[in-house]
Amino acid sequence: MKIEHDGNNLRVSDIAELNAVNASSFRDEVRAAMPSSPATIEIDLSQTRFVDSSGLGALFALYKAASHGNDGVTLRLLNPRPSIQQLFELTQLHQLFEISRR
Amino acid sequence: MTDSTPAERGISNRVVFRCDLSEARVATRILRAFLAEQGLDETEQFNCELCLAEACNNAVQYATAAGRNAPISAEVNCHTSNVEMRVIDHTEGFTLAARAGSIDPHRENGRGLFIIQSLMDDVQYYRCDGTNILTMRKVRTRQQHRPEHDAAAATLEDARRQIESCQQTISGMARELCFRSESLAAIFRCCTELGRTSDLEGFGNRLLNDLLHLTTADWFVLRLVPVGGAQLEVFVASAPELRTEPLVLGQAPTADASSELLAARKRRDVEFDARRATATSEPLRAIGPAANGIVQPLLFNDKLVGTLAIGRREADAPFSALQAEMIRTFSEFMAVQVVNARHLEEQVHARLVAHELDIAHRIQRALLPRSLPQLAGFGLAANWESARQVGGDFYDAIPLNDHSLLLVVADVMGKGVPAAMFATIMRSLLRAMAARSHHPTRLLKRLNELLYEELSSVGMFITAQLVFVDLQRRQLVAASAGHCPVLLISGATVRTLRVTGTPLGILPNTTFRQHTATFASPAGLLLYTDGVTEALNPAGELFGHDRLAQWLTTCAQLPLSAEAVRDQLAAEMLRFRGATPLRDDQAFLVLAEHSPVPRRTLPSDEPRSEFSLVAPGLEDAAGVVATLPPVT
Repeated sequence: MKIEHDGNNLRVSDIAELNAVNASSFRDEVRAAMPSSPATIEIDLSQTRFVDSSGLGALFALYKAASHGNDGVTLRLLNPRPSIQQLFELTQLHQLFEISRR
Repeated sequence: MTDSTPAERGISNRVVFRCDLSEARVATRILRAFLAEQGLDETEQFNCELCLAEACNNAVQYATAAGRNAPISAEVNCHTSNVEMRVIDHTEGFTLAARAGSIDPHRENGRGLFIIQSLMDDVQYYRCDGTNILTMRKVRTRQQHRPEHDAAAATLEDARRQIESCQQTISGMARELCFRSESLAAIFRCCTELGRTSDLEGFGNRLLNDLLHLTTADWFVLRLVPVGGAQLEVFVASAPELRTEPLVLGQAPTADASSELLAARKRRDVEFDARRATATSEPLRAIGPAANGIVQPLLFNDKLVGTLAIGRREADAPFSALQAEMIRTFSEFMAVQVVNARHLEEQVHARLVAHELDIAHRIQRALLPRSLPQLAGFGLAANWESARQVGGDFYDAIPLNDHSLLLVVADVMGKGVPAAMFATIMRSLLRAMAARSHHPTRLLKRLNELLYEELSSVGMFITAQLVFVDLQRRQLVAASAGHCPVLLISGATVRTLRVTGTPLGILPNTTFRQHTATFASPAGLLLYTDGVTEALNPAGELFGHDRLAQWLTTCAQLPLSAEAVRDQLAAEMLRFRGATPLRDDQAFLVLAEHSPVPRRTLPSDEPRSEFSLVAPGLEDAAGVVATLPPVT
């Protein structure tokens, strides 16, 4: 997993899986790296092969942490694979996150 | 693989792991790799892996304190049309509610179950004490092509993972192969034994004990439908208390049927759980309050041979798909062996019957006197012909002194060895008693007293004709126990001496009448069994008493020697019978006085030139034995 800062923007990439084993540490590491007032959090899921409900929970926790008292923060998920995209839609999380492809 | 119908049974893989999230993750990866091998597409693989992961994670996260020490089992069974996945957990369990239409994205938990219920076509959750099974089924879209490995192995890390999962798949397959070869070895071991012992009960016991070992089960009950029967009788069971009463088949199906009857009726396996059993009469409850297992019907060519119930006393986990399949395989094998063994039994029985007949023939042959007594002025000859079904006809001529003898013809009503045995006993008794008493009536009375109990206990009886002959006084005393009359030749005429009497073995106390007659000259006697008068010709007519008496009258005109009468009568019987098979034994005994004039013979007879006080051919057994069927 790679975490990059660009001013108030945070970019997380190189995530192989978001599962019950690593979800908590992923959440904690990203939360620790968050700037005090982040503008955009980008999580690159292009390398992510597997996400389960724990992984979804971690993403949801990050969304809450980012949006807590910070209106206008965007949590953006980049290039999820189709099956993971479907999972976001199934669980309605696509309504909270911005999912974009580039 | 080793299955004859892999499409129906599917191919399964099971991973058992410790209560730990990392192990759960490894397990789901292995199972996904296995599903990829079976040709599921990327989305199907992902969805199955996801649902397995959700189920396994729940199993780890919600395990009870005791459950944390128990292994968790995750298993997939891949059929051509669907995929079935089972996860066995040791949690308190939960209530599986209907799937919600959608989920609030802000919800903190409950996503896992929602995902499973959304992605799978059928989800069932069985709760037991401390052990629960989540079963998930997904219908496959269609037969898929194998995944493109090259594209998947884009990175080194991916390649490494792929190798790892391949290795795990291979080791899983190797484990399965071991398991299968072990079961095959068990079958072969039992097979070789079966050939040696032909002991179906011992064989069943060993085979099913092997099956217990292979499936980690601890009880079994094998019931068989007896030949021509309509019930399931316990044949072998792992414990004596499981030998319960037979279950009657063929009643109208009811919701209340016990597991074994249900499996027999439905012709398919039925699961049994003592804690959930509802049937009022469920014999498998005898195993224990927490017992569970499977009942598999034993079928051969769609015919019900029996049922096999097998399981565990304490339900820690139900049978895996592989174990269930092994139980199915062993049941099929057992059914074949039962049918084989029964076939063998029939053959052995047929051989035994043939052997028994042979013994009976030998006994009967031994009964007949090896030689007939030699008498001054009289000749004795006898004929005995045995039907296929051995009966108990016999004759005897017991010399009492130089001028008197006791003639006996008897018919034991019965077949086979028992009839022959009674004939032997009666002959011995008569020979022993005749030394002390010459009176036919007293002899018959005493014989009845001695034989009544044995005869009546087996429902048999004996008819007998006893004739005491005093050649010096030219007198005879005849008595009969329900036997055919005696034909007395007096000069050129033939008289029928009918004496009534009850057969031996009918009444415990009975007395007999006697008939006394004197011989005219030349004198003769014919004693016979009903096989003679009841012989049938091809037209279905009986030979009959009248025809016999008539025939003997013709003989009396000639007159003939005892031997000649015997030979002529035997020839006459044969002529009459034609191609009609002998229905019953035929025995007859001829006494004939030597004619004072040169003997005439029938045209077909060999001319006999000698006069002799002793009939030729009676010096040894040859004269009697010559007409017996050859000893084979």
